[in-house]
Amino acid sequence: MKGQEWYQADDVAAEYDDKRFSRGGQLIDFREKAAVLDALSPLEDKRVLEIACGTGRFTVMLADRGADVVGLDISAAMLQQGRTKAQAAGVADNLEFLRGDAGRLPFPDDHFDTVVAMRFFHLADDPHAFLQEMRRVSRDQIVFDTFNRYSTRSIYNWALPMGSRLYSAREVHALLEANDLSLSNVSDDFLLPYGLYRITPNVLASPLRSLDRLLGNAPFVDRLSSVSYWDATVDEPVE
Amino acid sequence: MKESLLDVLCCPLDKHDLELEDAVGDDDVESGTLVCTECGERYPIEDGIPNLLPPDMREETPA
Repeated sequence: MKGQEWYQADDVAAEYDDKRFSRGGQLIDFREKAAVLDALSPLEDKRVLEIACGTGRFTVMLADRGADVVGLDISAAMLQQGRTKAQAAGVADNLEFLRGDAGRLPFPDDHFDTVVAMRFFHLADDPHAFLQEMRRVSRDQIVFDTFNRYSTRSIYNWALPMGSRLYSAREVHALLEANDLSLSNVSDDFLLPYGLYRITPNVLASPLRSLDRLLGNAPFVDRLSSVSYWDATVDEPVE
Repeated sequence: MKESLLDVLCCPLDKHDLELEDAVGDDDVESGTLVCTECGERYPIEDGIPNLLPPDMREETPA
């Protein structure tokens, strides 16, 4: 797994939210949360597992909306940040964090209604194996995002601390099919890469985002989006 | 970790049930050990968060 050590450092975990999701990064946070809520709502009493939950950005939001959530991550430092956040938000009652390996989940088959993995597959060395394991514990739905191969993401990828795996739409379709998952929805966004937003001050971030949306809506251009949000359904077994 | 999570969790290696030993804290378990009823593998609960990393990943992954 890429970034395995990097994400475990205490200072990285402590600064993670500030570095990633302040300034223009707020818009990314907002968009990602909207993608997750769109796919998972209604959340009341839904059993959700989040893979690579990190500091609990999504887990806390989902618990707050009534879901019964488990957040799993490899990093104890990130999870402690999440635990503090959950306690502050008053949602600790329907939220559990645990350390574990996404490739060998400590849950029985079909336990969850939905399994979510945001910002995960770009770090996965064996996406098929991870998706297979997510599917094993999900009864109904799998939601994740990918960074896209034919996009501006390719240009700035070299600047990242551990590089990241980029996917073409065809690869994702093949992964879904190989795991008996049917695509229910996909949306593409961010013609301009995340890194650009992260360094953009608040006052310029909104105009930048408007420009991004405008360009992204043009015919053919949306294919160049840097991020895709995937929502898939677990196929019923054939009797 | 709430004790009720035990009903859900299983051993990441063989998916058998876990038993809680040496629990500190009441409903909210702050520390203790989860032990697989089949293979006997032990998983620590550290600062309220169970560590279910399989043993081969525990060594290479710093806390």
